[in-house]
Amino acid sequence: MEHIIIIGGGGTGAAIAHDLVLRGFEVSLFERGELLSGTTGRHHGLLHSGARYAVHDPAAARECISENKILRRIAPQAIEQNDGLFVALDEADLDYKPLFLENCRACGIPARELTAEQALALEPELNPSLKAAVQVPDATMDAWRLPLHFYATARANGARIHNFSEIIGFSQAEGAVTGIRVLDHQSHREYDVRGDLFVNAAGAWAGKICDLAGIQLPIQPGPGVMVAVNDRLTNMVINRLHKAGEGDIIVPQRKLTILGTSIWLADDPDAVELPKDHGPRLIELGAKLVPAVKKAEIHSMWCAVRPLIAQAEAKDPQEISRDFDCCDHKQRDNLEGLISVIGGKATTLRLMAEKIADLICRKTGRNIACKTKTKKLLHYRMFY
Amino acid sequence: MSIKKITFRILRYKPGLIDPPQFQNFSIEVKPDMTILDGLEKIRLEQDTTLMYRHSCHHSSCGTCACKINGTESLACTTKIKDLKSISITLAPLDGFRPIGDLVVDISPLFTNISEDWSYLKNSENVKSSQMPEGIKEFKRFENCIECGACVSACPVTHKNKGFLGPAALAALSNELKKSPPKAEDLLSMAGNKNGERLCERALNCSRVCPTGVYPARHISDLHRVLKQK
Ligand SMILES: Cc1cc2nc3c(=O)[nH]c(=O)nc-3n(C[C@H](O)[C@H](O)[C@H](O)COP(=O)(O)OP(=O)(O)OC[C@H]3O[C@@H](n4cnc5c(N)ncnc54)[C@H](O)[C@@H]3O)c2cc1C
Ligand code: SF4
Ligand code: FES
Repeated sequence: MEHIIIIGGGGTGAAIAHDLVLRGFEVSLFERGELLSGTTGRHHGLLHSGARYAVHDPAAARECISENKILRRIAPQAIEQNDGLFVALDEADLDYKPLFLENCRACGIPARELTAEQALALEPELNPSLKAAVQVPDATMDAWRLPLHFYATARANGARIHNFSEIIGFSQAEGAVTGIRVLDHQSHREYDVRGDLFVNAAGAWAGKICDLAGIQLPIQPGPGVMVAVNDRLTNMVINRLHKAGEGDIIVPQRKLTILGTSIWLADDPDAVELPKDHGPRLIELGAKLVPAVKKAEIHSMWCAVRPLIAQAEAKDPQEISRDFDCCDHKQRDNLEGLISVIGGKATTLRLMAEKIADLICRKTGRNIACKTKTKKLLHYRMFY
Repeated sequence: MSIKKITFRILRYKPGLIDPPQFQNFSIEVKPDMTILDGLEKIRLEQDTTLMYRHSCHHSSCGTCACKINGTESLACTTKIKDLKSISITLAPLDGFRPIGDLVVDISPLFTNISEDWSYLKNSENVKSSQMPEGIKEFKRFENCIECGACVSACPVTHKNKGFLGPAALAALSNELKKSPPKAEDLLSMAGNKNGERLCERALNCSRVCPTGVYPARHISDLHRVLKQK
């Protein structure tokens, strides 16, 4: 079968490798550093129910709830399945609630209304002056171990996974990409690998990969800061019940509580520095939902870079869609053989992979169904 | 914001290229809150793109970034440069694992004795809820052990006796024993075999270096006690 080359060893690359080997393709994946050392390992670990997107992006919300259910089944060891609460703190939040509930229901997201007393009985550290809450099936995923389940399974099924192997160029002939040039960081050797199709799954670095192929891709790196504080202050994921914005997500994990997040636009995904004021602001905003956040000791602070789809006119970065797109460069730039994945969320990694693999089937004239919806993944420890 | 110049003394190794391993100095400017991992990222991006180290979560969850920082096993992502209070920082890979390149080792032997049948989830204990949400019987959370290998590197016995199950596996075994009583017989026979708990010399290095408070030595004593009672 055709040899498909995947560039980028994040969650998206992991899920694509898994899907393609199950469909019978020959698969090689190349990642410049350790696997999952880009954006994937660093996100909050929120396995979205979709509720966060229900009002302004119902298509993304539907994808989230359906993927949320699938991942709980196929990788249960990588998920703390404790649900989540959307918490209303003021009258404006209460005014937003009917629209939120209506949209959750329309998207098929179970949403259960709770009084303030009921919410406090579940989560005693919530702001005692909360007005109401809604329970939804959010969850916490292990941002490293969940995608590692995909790598373990893909490798067991024959995918060749190369870490510390950086793509530094493409070879092309007659308007088509025919191979990649790889720099092996261990041996410093450069070598070429030929393939039939090439998938650019380099996330926020996808634009740089396209530069190497001599084409342009409208990716705008959109970094965000997260703060982890010591102590697990809640068991459930906590969101503010309002239009999704800054500093309104709290994701408990192990013995930590992770506060997120902010957003700004950057030019280079490699040259992102932590802005000094974001951490304190996240703590301020997080403490509105869970006051104990303020007293907790800061454990760590870091950023991760979203691969956003660049918009023609300047826009509030919060408004840029988190949906994903697969882009066939034959159509876009008249360059055969290269496909780019743009945008997305860790929660929808499997679905993105399904769409990419469907496109690869169409391009190779094959009719093979996707098998990843029901196939239980191997435990991440099997990767080793 | 005060910016300081720091030297990272990194044990470089590339099979056949920098072989045997040798130290290389990198001088970088650091800001007050930077971690060792931030420093490594800066060196990779500004000075040598082929510098090899493992990292993923940047907040002590994945366990990939453990290495020896000034001689002690620690996580690069949560060790702050300023807390080391020195202007020269020595970095070397974990001991006892096959070196792959620079700070990267082959961590897979850590998983030889940690079965994938042992649950990575446990009951969550911290929050005092007076009620449970509909549809949820018990709040769950991930285990404390992030499988970083620091304890194995620091343990004197694992280097003398390659068969030793080691602190991480014995701690995981002891946790599984508490969660799955029906598995007790198999688990205890593993813990009690010739490569098991009996080889521990109570150096306690494992508990000292563990970044997430697993205290493997305590688990080993627990196992010792249970086995003695049998
Ligand atoms: C602050 C923040 C919080 C988020 N929180 C959540 C959340 O809670 N839940 C959720 O579902 N989603 C969340 N997301 C979104 C999610 O993290 C990303 O959409 C997802 O991880 C992207 O995965 P990826 O595989 O496409 O990209 P990446 O994980 O970035 O993978 C791309 C890989 O390509 C590699 N690469 C780059 N250049 C090269 C090259 N030349 N050669 C070889 N490899 C190369 C990179 O090293 C990288 O590992 C968050 C994002 C951000 C920024
Ligand atoms: S017990 Fe602690 S030191 Fe050992 S592997 Fe687990 S987290 Fe690391
Ligand atoms: S990077 Fe994950 S533990 Fe340090």
